[in-house]
Amino acid sequence: MSSLTMRTRCVDKRGSFFKLIDTIASEIGELKQEMVQTDLTVEDESADWQSLIKDMDNISPEKNDVKSCPRDSGYDSLSNKLSILDKLLHTHPVWLQLSLNDAEAMEILQTQPPGIFLVRKCARLQKKVISLRLSSDCGSCMKEFAIKESTYTFSLEGSAISFADLFRLIAFYCISRDVLPFTLKLPHAIAAAKTEAELEEIAQLGLNFWSSLANSKPPDPSPPCRPVPLDSARKDSRQLCLINGVHSIRTRTPSELECSQTNGALCFINPLFLKVHSQDVSGSLKRQSPRTPDVNGTARPRSPPPRPPPPAINSTLRSPQISRTIKQASMPETVSHKKERGSDLLQNKPTPIPPPRLKKQAVCSEADSASRSAAPLRPRSVCVPEAAAAPPRETLPALPQPAPAAPKKTPAAISESHIPWNGGRQRLSDMSISTSSSDSLDFDRSMPLFGYEGDTNSSLEDFEGESDQESMAPPLKPKKKRSSSFVIPKIVKSQLRKVSGVFSSFMTPEKRMIKKIAEMSRDKRTYFGCLVQDYVSFLQENKECHVSSTDMLQTIRQFMTQVKNYLSQSSELDPPIESLIPEDQIDVVLEKAMHKCILKPLKGHIEAMLKEFHTTDGSWKQLKENLQLVRQRNPQELGVFVPTPDFVDVEKIKVKFMTMQKMYSPEKKVMLLLRVCKLIYTVMENNSGRLYGADDFLPVLTYVLAQCDMLELDTEIEYMMELLDPSLLHGEGGYYLTSAYGALSLIKNFQEEQAAQLLSSEARDTLRQWHKRRTTNRTIPSVDDFQNYLRVAFQEVTSGCTGKTLLVRPYITTEDVCQLCAEKFKVANPEEYRLFLFVDDTWQQLTEDTYPQKIKAELHSRPQPQVFHFVYKRLNSDPYGAILQNSNDSAA
Amino acid sequence: MMAIRELKVCLLGDTGVGKSSIVCRFVQDHFDHNISPTIGASFMTKTVPCGNELHKFLIWDTAGQERFHSLAPMYYRGSAAAVIVYDITKQDSFHTLKKWVKELKEHGPENIVMAIAGNKCDLSDIREVPMKDAKEYAESIGAIVVETSAKNAVNIEELFQGISQQIPPLDPHENSNNGAIKLGRQTSQTGRRCC
Repeated sequence: MSSLTMRTRCVDKRGSFFKLIDTIASEIGELKQEMVQTDLTVEDESADWQSLIKDMDNISPEKNDVKSCPRDSGYDSLSNKLSILDKLLHTHPVWLQLSLNDAEAMEILQTQPPGIFLVRKCARLQKKVISLRLSSDCGSCMKEFAIKESTYTFSLEGSAISFADLFRLIAFYCISRDVLPFTLKLPHAIAAAKTEAELEEIAQLGLNFWSSLANSKPPDPSPPCRPVPLDSARKDSRQLCLINGVHSIRTRTPSELECSQTNGALCFINPLFLKVHSQDVSGSLKRQSPRTPDVNGTARPRSPPPRPPPPAINSTLRSPQISRTIKQASMPETVSHKKERGSDLLQNKPTPIPPPRLKKQAVCSEADSASRSAAPLRPRSVCVPEAAAAPPRETLPALPQPAPAAPKKTPAAISESHIPWNGGRQRLSDMSISTSSSDSLDFDRSMPLFGYEGDTNSSLEDFEGESDQESMAPPLKPKKKRSSSFVIPKIVKSQLRKVSGVFSSFMTPEKRMIKKIAEMSRDKRTYFGCLVQDYVSFLQENKECHVSSTDMLQTIRQFMTQVKNYLSQSSELDPPIESLIPEDQIDVVLEKAMHKCILKPLKGHIEAMLKEFHTTDGSWKQLKENLQLVRQRNPQELGVFVPTPDFVDVEKIKVKFMTMQKMYSPEKKVMLLLRVCKLIYTVMENNSGRLYGADDFLPVLTYVLAQCDMLELDTEIEYMMELLDPSLLHGEGGYYLTSAYGALSLIKNFQEEQAAQLLSSEARDTLRQWHKRRTTNRTIPSVDDFQNYLRVAFQEVTSGCTGKTLLVRPYITTEDVCQLCAEKFKVANPEEYRLFLFVDDTWQQLTEDTYPQKIKAELHSRPQPQVFHFVYKRLNSDPYGAILQNSNDSAA
Repeated sequence: MMAIRELKVCLLGDTGVGKSSIVCRFVQDHFDHNISPTIGASFMTKTVPCGNELHKFLIWDTAGQERFHSLAPMYYRGSAAAVIVYDITKQDSFHTLKKWVKELKEHGPENIVMAIAGNKCDLSDIREVPMKDAKEYAESIGAIVVETSAKNAVNIEELFQGISQQIPPLDPHENSNNGAIKLGRQTSQTGRRCC
């Protein structure tokens, strides 16, 4: 990878780029050949050991510094050789027991030989710990070693070595003791297992494994602290270091690096070869594994999810179309003889709803049942019969006795579900390097940690600097321009697409987890997938289900929060998220995943709906008028007394706002808003070193938003305000979001102030108070322009100007309005006063038989929106004279 | 390691009374490299230890001009505390302060901790608001009160310490412990009020 990237960076001509692709393709061909041969290698104990060593390299690449050499554990796993990491991944239901307490762990471990371990969550330490069985002469037979979780890594307390996830950590300590008294030891049955099927069988025992016959075999007599041949272990780490150096993804560099036989640069492609290979060898073990069957690896049988309470959707959700689609898909629950159950279930009829993961069972069973009853919309009635009905086709060869009840699965349905996936495979074998979500499924199971699960499109997206999910630099740092080093011509893109799968190998556990959740959300055979897909299509098909934009956005936010809770409690994610993501990051990762699987598909719909709401209620029209008004003001009139962004800066800001519109993630949008604010501060401070607070910032922000003149900003801000993770609302993002919202509301309510500015300073003060009263009590933009209200300003030469909103029905004449005004403004001599319309800088006295509401409606319907005011004032005062006279008065 | 609690604090008061100067002084004195800088002075954060907890103040500045008053509820919503600032040399600003207190009592979050800061106490020779007035008023509404000088860094730390102590601790069984400390410190706080 390192050399690939370096080469990529140097490449500035198309020709050499194609050459690169070709080189890669031919190298893959060679490797493929070699792979077939390796497959035939007979393995023995020492080979096994070798593979362990290689695993160690993978998991602790930064530790070793020495020369590299070819490795073959990737092939090993093909030929039934399983690495420690594989074994750990497959059997986590046995050793990963987060819910065990001290006593239970002790009970299990005391019957085990030294070196055996469990990973659990220690209530006392509030941390995950490795509970290690010590030798009997150590006094206590069990000791806890705390696992430290930082933002990105897992490590043992006291050790300097950290790992991207729990599996890698454990695998490392199976080989090197580091801070432990001796290395960890896998139970004999697991260590001796030669096939994934065996591991599966063990995994299905779950906690029962420890007391079962499977574990009763005589323990391996070899001492737990077997010497580690470090020299050989270090051999092939150099390339890893190189890669790490180039990519700064250190500990989490994936173990895909495993199978570079001849060419270090290509080692990361290994999983693809495995895939290709597993197709070539039709009888490959992987295909037979009971857990492999699903075409989509994410759809593995899982324990049943607690059903989260649904958002406000009703039964209309279950459109016939939806149910049909569900029926076509084979349900994962069919193969649900999961780890927690006894192996006897293997041969039995599959149960539609497997038990929840043990760990959370106690915690969520109550909420679970509560939420179930409160979940009328959940298409469970669709899923359940489905699950009972459809045995996934690929399970059949693996299971001697097919599931008995399969009445509904018609041949047609089967072939239907086959077609797309077969297509995917075909494509894969044509293309030497490529992964797609469908393609990668098979390994996904065997090596869920390896990060090549990416589908081609999204990896390419990532590579091109995808508008969202890519990590964005905080606003203080210069923006990373990912694709700026070279422009990708269209033809090259298609070539790149092939390579892009490769880049996903370097994803962090976080990205892999998000990707995995996103894939699961598209797979309707998972409960989670059903939930998300049904909700998304419900929203898209039922436009009338929300009464307002806020209502719609709040419902979506609620849905995301609920689905997040569901995911963190259910066991649909395998391996459990806790083993891959440090605890304080789980919510962050889930939130990002929600954006990807819910907001991404809904973004277009939400935008269209927001636009519709605001066009219908007239608020955009008003905003448009007011933006125009505010833009005509100079900065001082808006209360700005500091340097403001010039034309060029405003253009830059507009570009940022336009980028913002392309994002679906509210957090990414807020990030851009912060960049805009940072730019504004930079202009304001103008190297003066002065720090400005809100007194100065808010007026400038208002000015800038008006200068940008983008109606869409209104919906952008609304989107962020309602959809942002609530926990972020109190932070910096929340602050500037609030400020932007405030600035826009000021603009929306600018009209009254505008009226004030036409009048004398005295009048202005009076009106301003009126404005204040109004805006203080007004939370929603005014709709009175479109209803039976008329705002009338009352102007007196002596006492300035006040305003009142009067109830004026369309058929009320000016004469009646004058009478009303005389009452409301307590005018002693009403005959001296008349109603005037101030528009286009001129005063027009309204005759008694006209209808003010009709005039207003006419003014509103003009193509060019105009500012107008109804003013009740003395007849004899000259229209302009009133103002001039007034100012003269105050001057004198 | 101590748990970090995030506390939203909003700053209210007339324009020109020195709201942001107070925060800048508070945040920038004893500059701590662990604090991630914010993009501007309208929103700043600072973490201070308090008992068994770390309090991370998320300080929201508001614009003091009248035309922005209507936006204030969005800023003080969800605040654990409000710092209301007046200028001891401007009687008007003290009048505005009373309006803010009234608004917070009516519409603000329940149990919001109120702290009154009479800023610019370095200019006491042109003082318009007697300290006695502020003190009596603060007592009548149960608020913390200090006279501060952002310019000379007088009582700035104390102002926020006072707020920290008024924030009830999260963990219920630490209550008794912290309560004792709180009382002790509060009395010393009273003594410190002169500047």
